Amino acid sequence: MHRLALPVILVSVVHHNTAANPVHGKIELPTAPERPPPTVKGFVDRVENPKKPIQGVPVTPLLLVALEKDGDTAKPESPGQVKWDLVGDSFAKPVIGAPAGAQVVIRNTSNTARTLVALEDPKLIQTGLINPKIGERSFNTTEPKIYTITDKDAPHLIGRVVVVNTPYVANVDAAGKFELDVPEGSYKLRVFFKDHWLAQTETVTVAAKGKTEPTIKIASLANPTEKAK
Amino acid sequence: MFWSKIWFFVVAVGAAIALTVALVMPRPAQRAAVQEETRRLTVACGVINILLEGDARNRVDLAGKFARNEDIERELADASAQATLDEKRMKTVRGIGETVMDGIKGKRNPAFAILIDRKGRVVARVRYEDSEFGDVLAGRPLVDDALAGYLRDDIWMFGRTTFLVAASPVIKGTEYVGAIVLGHKIDTEFAKKIVGKSLLVELGFYLNNDTLAATEAAALEQSTMAQGVAKLKGPELATDCTNDINTPLAVRAGGDSYSALVARLPGEAGARGAFYSVFAKKPAEIGFGATLGGATKDDLGFGSFPWILVGGGFLLALGVGIFLMLFEADRPLRRLAADTVKLAKGDSERLAEDIHPGKFGSIARSVNIHIDKLGREAKTAKKDLDQLLGPAPEGSLGTIDLLATALPSIRPGGAAPAVSPPPSEFRFGDSGSQPARMPTPPPSRPGTPPPVRKTPPAFPAISTPTPQPRPPQDLVGTGFEAAGNNSPSITAQSAPPLTLDDDILGGSQAAQLPKSPESSPRVDPYFRQVYDQFLAVKKSCNEPTSGLTYEKFSEKLVKNRDDLIAKTGCREVRFTVYIKEGKAALKATPVKEE
Repeated sequence: MHRLALPVILVSVVHHNTAANPVHGKIELPTAPERPPPTVKGFVDRVENPKKPIQGVPVTPLLLVALEKDGDTAKPESPGQVKWDLVGDSFAKPVIGAPAGAQVVIRNTSNTARTLVALEDPKLIQTGLINPKIGERSFNTTEPKIYTITDKDAPHLIGRVVVVNTPYVANVDAAGKFELDVPEGSYKLRVFFKDHWLAQTETVTVAAKGKTEPTIKIASLANPTEKAK
Repeated sequence: MFWSKIWFFVVAVGAAIALTVALVMPRPAQRAAVQEETRRLTVACGVINILLEGDARNRVDLAGKFARNEDIERELADASAQATLDEKRMKTVRGIGETVMDGIKGKRNPAFAILIDRKGRVVARVRYEDSEFGDVLAGRPLVDDALAGYLRDDIWMFGRTTFLVAASPVIKGTEYVGAIVLGHKIDTEFAKKIVGKSLLVELGFYLNNDTLAATEAAALEQSTMAQGVAKLKGPELATDCTNDINTPLAVRAGGDSYSALVARLPGEAGARGAFYSVFAKKPAEIGFGATLGGATKDDLGFGSFPWILVGGGFLLALGVGIFLMLFEADRPLRRLAADTVKLAKGDSERLAEDIHPGKFGSIARSVNIHIDKLGREAKTAKKDLDQLLGPAPEGSLGTIDLLATALPSIRPGGAAPAVSPPPSEFRFGDSGSQPARMPTPPPSRPGTPPPVRKTPPAFPAISTPTPQPRPPQDLVGTGFEAAGNNSPSITAQSAPPLTLDDDILGGSQAAQLPKSPESSPRVDPYFRQVYDQFLAVKKSCNEPTSGLTYEKFSEKLVKNRDDLIAKTGCREVRFTVYIKEGKAALKATPVKEE
């Protein structure tokens, strides 16, 4: 919770300018999916340790929650800046949300210089090494889109920037909880997992006063596009 | 010669087959050598792959043991509970790691160790960038799997340095508290250890066009090997060595040629193009020369080489060849030579054609044809002379003596000469010292009526001196033309034939011919003697002699002599005076040799 809370608060504080009410929601997840076969193998196949069962794939770091105002498709005003830390061989958050028009700033806090690229738009990020410890690289988002950021020299290093048409977007903690400050009104809650939006949506009504605590039970984490196929 | 030619053909075919076999024989050996080399490289490649897998299992086991260290379990559990990691904790954990690594000396000591907490953060590094900590290694497949509870291996690259890494989860009680990663450097020492001394190949590790490590310093053409690796697409890397499309590559290093078999390396490094190559120097091409040069004394020993067969074959070929040569060439040639000697000696008048086989028979037939031709020419010449001068007197040499020295004594044209030609030393000037010889009567010949014999005067046979060669002129039909040797304007064809008396006794045409000073014969003793004899015989026959002058007579003799020499090629012409049908007649006889 402590590591996830920071960006959640950061995003919501930066973008709110009117009276907002806290939304403390919780995502109830289905059984964690099994760990897929390794994408990269060694000389020998991986073997399970004899002492303890294998842990499933951690799902919550890959989740993102967004509240979109019903009937409002306008871009957020003054979306501000979203900071994203590269902490080594992974990003601090493998998935991060950004309101359309926001500037995403990638900070390399690791010991390794990286050259990042967005697979969907190779010109999105300025080319060149991002120095370790102090290096930064930023880019601006315009339209709702999913960007896959990677380093071609380290294909395992993958992070996704999810650009949404709302300022109310947040990650969830290990327990599946999220917190947003949202003005009064009716919203559609959407959940992003790993690399796709879930088909399941929920309506959340934020009251004028008091805390809103919606609980969303996720039926499936499957990609609806692949499911349709 | 037929069988000799057949035998020569058979021997030539045998030699060609032997040469072909000698040139072709190294090729199967070369193919076998290439196949053996391919098999050796394939086996070595597979063995090395197995050795690398075995090494990976050992390293994974080592990582598992490392992770079971209680101090490490405790420290990583504590670190996992902290929001941030500090240097003090790093040094503590690093110290523990050093101690554990020291404890595994004697086995395959890792080059480095990385201790990671449950969140994927590096708590400490040992022996490699050991002042760095706090960065997150979660995200790398090896670390993610280890944090999830798997033991596995991988190949990592730090810059241009490649490490074989193995990871194991660290479990404290019932909790995952982190993972440890052990790394072993891929270097020359490792490559030599893997290859050992029994595989008899070299081993190299490469990343695209860079050499990571190799047992031999030879700088192979890595682009060629990289192209070979690019062809390997299947997901099962373990089958690269036996893949049908993966054949040994011909690569060069400096002036040396190598055969190299490539196989992909797994893991992160493999995804970036890392591979290993098993290579060996190419054996020398096994050509005919190399095969011959490689032969030893033992190869030519009686135990390993069929000397009896080869020697027997050689002797057989030689013997048959010599036999056929003797049978078909030497013996017939000797027979022909003996036959020609008989012919030369006059023991036979023709070569026996039937006893000479093949070409020798052809030679004999050709010689006989020429003999027949000469005989016919002799008959023709005799006939011409007979027509010109009348038949030869009985006992004279006659025209039949024309070939007396070139033909056998018994000739198809007639009998042997009745009188042998005078000896070469005979000269007209010496006539007084020589005994006078009476010509013997010639044998009767068919078609030639014998001359009417009266009292033949005894005239010595007198030879003319050898004249200078002159252009040949046709004697046939000329008779005793009065044309001089130096009067080309008057030819034998233009002058009508004259009788002897008309000619010599002042015939109208002969008398009308202009006489050049050069054509006036000088008084030749021989011609003078003949003239005197002729004059005497004419008188004895009561023939008129008025008009018969020596100049005209000798001129005719010179002309007649030159014509005969030109036609027959004889050296001398002998003139004989005789009586024909009650009249004096003159006979010219060519003498070919002395």
